[in-house]
Amino acid sequence: MTFEEAQRELEAIVHRLESGEAPLDEALKLWQRGEELYRLCRERLDAAEGKIEELAGRAEAAKP
Amino acid sequence: MGAFNRGVASWLGRLPTVWVEGEVTELRRQARWASVFFTLKDPADGACLSISMPRGQFDALRLDVADGDRVHVYGRPELYEARGEFRLRALSLERFGLGDHLASLERLKSKLAAEGLFAAERKRPLPLLPRRIGLVTGNDAAAKRDVLTAIQARFPPASVLVAETYVQGPRAAGAVIETLGALCREDDVDVIVVARGGGSFEDLLPFSDERLVRAIAACPVPVVTAVGHEQDTPLCDLAADARASTPSVAGRLVVPDLAELLQRLDRARAGLERGTRRALERERHRLERAHERLGRAPRLLVERGRARLEHAAGRLRALSPKATLARGYAIVRAGDEIVRSGGDVEPGERVDVELAEGGFGAKVEETRSVGSTELPRSGGAGSAGAGSGKG
Repeated sequence: MTFEEAQRELEAIVHRLESGEAPLDEALKLWQRGEELYRLCRERLDAAEGKIEELAGRAEAAKP
Repeated sequence: MGAFNRGVASWLGRLPTVWVEGEVTELRRQARWASVFFTLKDPADGACLSISMPRGQFDALRLDVADGDRVHVYGRPELYEARGEFRLRALSLERFGLGDHLASLERLKSKLAAEGLFAAERKRPLPLLPRRIGLVTGNDAAAKRDVLTAIQARFPPASVLVAETYVQGPRAAGAVIETLGALCREDDVDVIVVARGGGSFEDLLPFSDERLVRAIAACPVPVVTAVGHEQDTPLCDLAADARASTPSVAGRLVVPDLAELLQRLDRARAGLERGTRRALERERHRLERAHERLGRAPRLLVERGRARLEHAAGRLRALSPKATLARGYAIVRAGDEIVRSGGDVEPGERVDVELAEGGFGAKVEETRSVGSTELPRSGGAGSAGAGSGKG
């Protein structure tokens, strides 16, 4: 699953929950799924930030 | 004596200006002399005429006249009084047959222009960063050095392939064409500079040679020409993809400024990093907002469910018998059964009465029929209360 797919699904879940149409059982399942997606997205963003720092450091080191 | 010379000089001064033609011999010039001197000789009969011409004027023509050249001289006859020498003071000078040359050049120029050889849309852009630069030049040090110096200054790592050849004389046009071809066959040559320092009109003539002009137009690699000085426009300049006024300018045209390029690259890299960080922050912010909202709805749903439940429980409690008892009613049980009708019990039977708070036991004194609608006077369910003291 890509970050964008996870993000899209997470936001769709939030939207569904906020519409108030989901019964409680479904709402709880959606929440759980949403938390999983949130964790996945967070991990991807943290990894991306690590990559940025690495590249910035490497570029800095390569400067004459 | 002096008066005589002055008289002759004044008489000569009344002669009109003339054009004479001959061969230059004994050209003499010295830095401290204000004029250049030479003798014009008639090649047919050997007749001679002394010529003087102000040095500045002579140099301005840039004709590079040398002994043996055939020239036309336009001038005024005069007497050099101090020595009584007759001579022609030159006002202008041109090479023999120059007019024919110019006319044929003009014709060639019109012909090639009509073919579209000089058209602006034929000009190719020069490469931003040529892998190799071909340089066609004479062993004339100045032009070559100027091109190389300019290239080095702007782009030190540039690779230049120098091809020296004849750039003057009858073999020049063919030699330059051949050198162009040879450079094109080399790997990675992305642009070619043809450079030649200044020279006389004749010196630059090979660069107006039709074959060379066509070769430059047809060259598979873009060509920059820097031939002669600013005011010279040999035809090869018109066919080239770019024309430089001097060899130095040609050098600057074919390479980018490395320092500036590095600066731009640096700025672009910084922008890259800033942009990526900004994108990351934006995504993080968006994710956190979604996360915040994620738990809110289910919590709200639970709270709402709880509230509804409480409400229902409240109503349930309101409907329970306790409330009715609180209003003064009592529940009468015989054994485990609730007594709903007078016929359910027998006089003398023991019943249990439950009130809103507490209760008591009682004995049935009398019973009434089911159909009776009279209010009890002293007995009935109510009368059970009367006997409470006995419980």
